[in-house]
Amino acid sequence: MLKLVKLEWKKNNITKYTRCALITSLAMLLFILLTAKELEAQETVEMYGENMLIAGVDLFNNIAFIIFTCVMLSAFSVSPYQNKTIYLMFSYPIKRRKIMAAQILAVWSFNFLSLVLSKLFSYCVLLLTKTATAGSIPLGHYEFYLNILIGSAAIVSISFLSLFVGLRLKSSKAAIVTGVIIACFTQGNIGSYTLSHNLPFYCSLLLLSFAAVFLSVYSVETKDVL
Amino acid sequence: MAYLLQTNQLTKTIDGKDLVKDVNIHVEKGTIYGFLGPNGAGKTTVMKMITNLWKPTGGSVEIFGERLTPTSIDILKRMGNIIEFPIFYEHLSGLENLRIHCEYMGYYNPGSIEHTLEILSLTDAAAKPVKSYSLGMKQRLGIARAILCRPELLILDEPTNGLDPAGMKHLRDLFRKLCTEYGITIILSSHILSEVESIADTIGIIHRGTMKDEIAMKEIAEQNTEYIALTVGNTKKAAYVLAEKQNLHHFKIMDENNIRIYDSGITTQTLSKTLALNEVEIRAVSQKSESLEDYFLKLTEEAVK
Repeated sequence: MLKLVKLEWKKNNITKYTRCALITSLAMLLFILLTAKELEAQETVEMYGENMLIAGVDLFNNIAFIIFTCVMLSAFSVSPYQNKTIYLMFSYPIKRRKIMAAQILAVWSFNFLSLVLSKLFSYCVLLLTKTATAGSIPLGHYEFYLNILIGSAAIVSISFLSLFVGLRLKSSKAAIVTGVIIACFTQGNIGSYTLSHNLPFYCSLLLLSFAAVFLSVYSVETKDVL
Repeated sequence: MAYLLQTNQLTKTIDGKDLVKDVNIHVEKGTIYGFLGPNGAGKTTVMKMITNLWKPTGGSVEIFGERLTPTSIDILKRMGNIIEFPIFYEHLSGLENLRIHCEYMGYYNPGSIEHTLEILSLTDAAAKPVKSYSLGMKQRLGIARAILCRPELLILDEPTNGLDPAGMKHLRDLFRKLCTEYGITIILSSHILSEVESIADTIGIIHRGTMKDEIAMKEIAEQNTEYIALTVGNTKKAAYVLAEKQNLHHFKIMDENNIRIYDSGITTQTLSKTLALNEVEIRAVSQKSESLEDYFLKLTEEAVK
């Protein structure tokens, strides 16, 4: 499986995506730095509570990497149906499910790692530039890292809802638009109302996402490649 | 006889429409099978089912003595193919595409990629990205990929598309060599009759989704009907003269100027003399034999009628 994942990365020019992920991460960091004062302002803390800087890091990075995951999914899993390279892939002596699983794993692992590193990088820069105080970012607590790991895994996994839409409609654009909608629902807010910390909502999306992946891969073995 | 590949009543229906129906193909080991048919006849559909990309609605495919099931995987290791048109990762070079192919096929043989590129005259272009290749180069690279892992069965859908005459000849020679020297069985589809005629051992003719005939080329050669092709100014008058004066009854009026005479025992000389004496304007007379083209047209025209 690892070999298949590596081949997926090689075929899809992973260096290009690494460069893009780095640029995205830097751009998000810039946004955070620019809005840091607002996020830590007295008014904001009074209205939304403390830890707004952490929320800001989460928000910007999550939005960016939800969309990034969907873009990669469209390139790795949906585009092969559009440019017919799937004919080639499915004529290899490898189970189709395994090929699809490798594509999914290639995207998931890359984005999970990127999101975790991007968040950690943001926190480190905020501390080094003294934009945040050591107290506001608890780098010494393992729960802090656990939160980053679980949160990133959940966000990347939820993005896989777009795989189902993209494959159903055989459209990369549909997959990316779905990503934008997921980002709006999970990270957006109306006034002070937001679903970004609603656990049942996240769990439901995760279950839906697993179902979407299952449905995308389930019947691929016996289906015609159209 | 045991065949390397055979299909039994192979049928594919999509949205209630039969793309192919009850197709029976029999391919002997170490031969070249020409799959002939006009555009849209169902050649690619059959090939997609043989390579397991599409699943049959009815009937079955047997390859290497095994029945192809929707989950047959190992069989694919023994096959090389080009279906519809050669597809590549365009941003990668020809060499990288072939390397990736070997990785997926689990084929490791040092020097085989370079050797294959050399056979297909692609050594110089190997490092360039495929997106910069011409259609003919892509076609050759597709064939290089198909033969790279030394398959036992090659399935090539219109393999000479986009090639110039010299390129076509080169490939024909290559296919013949692969067949005779390496014992590779080849199925190639085409709508160009001359291409199949010059290379195939057996041909299968498909038209509007049904098999019209499957015949060895040598049988066609044996069956070749000789005839006299006659071009005249007035076919009605000529036909009257042929029947009444020359007592010929086995002839066919092809159009308003052409007649084919199948009766044996009459020479072009006698014929010209008789027609001239009866004031029938003769434009051309020649002795001919039915080619694969005639055979193909006869079958497909019969189907149209």
